[in-house]
Amino acid sequence: MQDAPSLGHHLGLGVGLRNVHFDHILREWPAVDWFEAISENFMDSGGRPGYVLAQIAERYPVVLHGVSMSIGSCDPLDRDYLRRLRALAEGVGARWVSDHVCWTGVGGVNSHDLLPLPLTEEVLAYVAERVRVVQDILGRPLVLENPSTYLRLRASTLREPEFLAALVAETGCRLLLDVNNVFVSCFNAGEDPRSYLDAFPFEAVVQLHLAGHQRGPEHIVDTHDQPVSEGVWELFRLAWQRTGGASTLLEWDGEVPAFERVHAELLRAREFMAGELDHGRLDAALRRGPSAAAEGLSTPVDFLVPSVMGRSELAAEAL
Amino acid sequence: MSESKGQPSPPASLRDFQDWMLGALVRPEGASGPELDVRVHPPARVRLGTYQRSYIARLGKCLAGQFPALCHALGPELFDDFAREYLRAHPSTSHSLYALGRRFPAWLEAQRPDRDAAAAQREAWIDFMVDLADYEWRLFELFDGPGPEREREREPTADCPDAELALQPHLVLAEHRFPVAWYYHEVRAGRRPSVPRREPSASVLLRRDYATSTFPVTALHLRFLTCVRERGSVNAGLVGLAEVLGRPLAEIEAAWAAQREGVRRPWIEAGFFTRARPRTRR
Ligand SMILES: [Fe+2]
Repeated sequence: MQDAPSLGHHLGLGVGLRNVHFDHILREWPAVDWFEAISENFMDSGGRPGYVLAQIAERYPVVLHGVSMSIGSCDPLDRDYLRRLRALAEGVGARWVSDHVCWTGVGGVNSHDLLPLPLTEEVLAYVAERVRVVQDILGRPLVLENPSTYLRLRASTLREPEFLAALVAETGCRLLLDVNNVFVSCFNAGEDPRSYLDAFPFEAVVQLHLAGHQRGPEHIVDTHDQPVSEGVWELFRLAWQRTGGASTLLEWDGEVPAFERVHAELLRAREFMAGELDHGRLDAALRRGPSAAAEGLSTPVDFLVPSVMGRSELAAEAL
Repeated sequence: MSESKGQPSPPASLRDFQDWMLGALVRPEGASGPELDVRVHPPARVRLGTYQRSYIARLGKCLAGQFPALCHALGPELFDDFAREYLRAHPSTSHSLYALGRRFPAWLEAQRPDRDAAAAQREAWIDFMVDLADYEWRLFELFDGPGPEREREREPTADCPDAELALQPHLVLAEHRFPVAWYYHEVRAGRRPSVPRREPSASVLLRRDYATSTFPVTALHLRFLTCVRERGSVNAGLVGLAEVLGRPLAEIEAAWAAQREGVRRPWIEAGFFTRARPRTRR
């Protein structure tokens, strides 16, 4: 697994596939470089979502992004889930399969949230063993993302970049660096995101995530319902250059606007690929005081269910 | 358990932590202060609240997306209260959020305060809520479940003999105490229907080209279609219906023949049937 071939990670600029955009995509076949699909929304689909993804996979590179693997949970890995994931990945020719360094539940319950792990040597060894099991079943390296976190656990003895670097070294897994999550987690923990990124194992990164967040009264929430913030763009500039242009994807989950708006936001990335990190701009973004806005909903996943109502009709009484 | 065989065993401290944190999400009032201090850096209470609020809001929003008409009927606040209670009783155990509402209709029925009363004494509006939830869930399952789209070549034409007409296997035959399909589509059309009067309704839910349609049918037609499903073909279904009704087969067959253009053809064209696989034995 350690000498897995290159994952071909220069896909360009991609968009997270969302139910509300299905009609637009099938009609327009927009000039997007690639799509990322939430694995769980398609792996059991016998209906339109599965059909739409199959159509898209014929025309665009597709990557699968999961939210329920729960790699850090104390529950046994769900082998049936992993087998279905593999089948979906093979069916759509997924370039890679990713999930998060987190746990989503325990005791058989799924919170559908990406919950924080205590970052210790003991947990590292446990997660590394599980990554190996997953990679065996998937038959390919797993790609893991840094989650956004709102709690710093006293038990943690490792910084997140160190934890991820060690995980890569032990398992040959790859990384998905979410620069918005870096901004959010570092801001909430009172840490400098530059120092976080200085410690990050960029050589293992195959993909970058961009998203919008919301400032709450005391901290920042990763809401995925806004344009990308200026501070995050600055971090993207750094990440893009240090990864040599890794595949970049915009996630937009809450209040999803029209596809063109999401695409236009993604294409702003071109403005931030070259040039030096603007420290003044980043510092200003980090210093910006809390907003009085009501706290948003942390939205690490595309949780909206497909609109069945939108594709449902009542036939004439004549029958 | 074979599923856990060969899997690494977790550190005990991790299990403690996860049990505690999940408990704080599912039963937020149980998350105690001192324990918080041990596990997380201050001001952790605020931030634990971020997870707690997001947990219930996210799942509640998902449930409202699966039951949009029920949400309209109850109003968002009451719906949220029900969702909160339901999620406490039945936290998600699936990798997919799409399974979240599976037990919601049965849970609503089990929660009704008048569940011990005789059927006629029960609150009509609760019956309506339960039926509407049942209808919405069936529609949701039909939408994303396996469907007929890959078997288009088995769609019969009107000249297909009755012996070869079988019920399309993904068809849903439903009976409710209220016109729930009408209500649902009124909500869809952006109107503000009020709770309808009790009026038994029979309907056929069908998916074609990844869209669902609901066909109101008579109670007798629904019985007939049920017989067709059980017996395997329209021909055999007529025999079944004659038995169920205790009427001569010839009478049932004559009635069906009289509906050749008015019912049979539109049902075939709508996609109610599939061409039965030819029998290889007997
Ligand atoms: Fe992300």
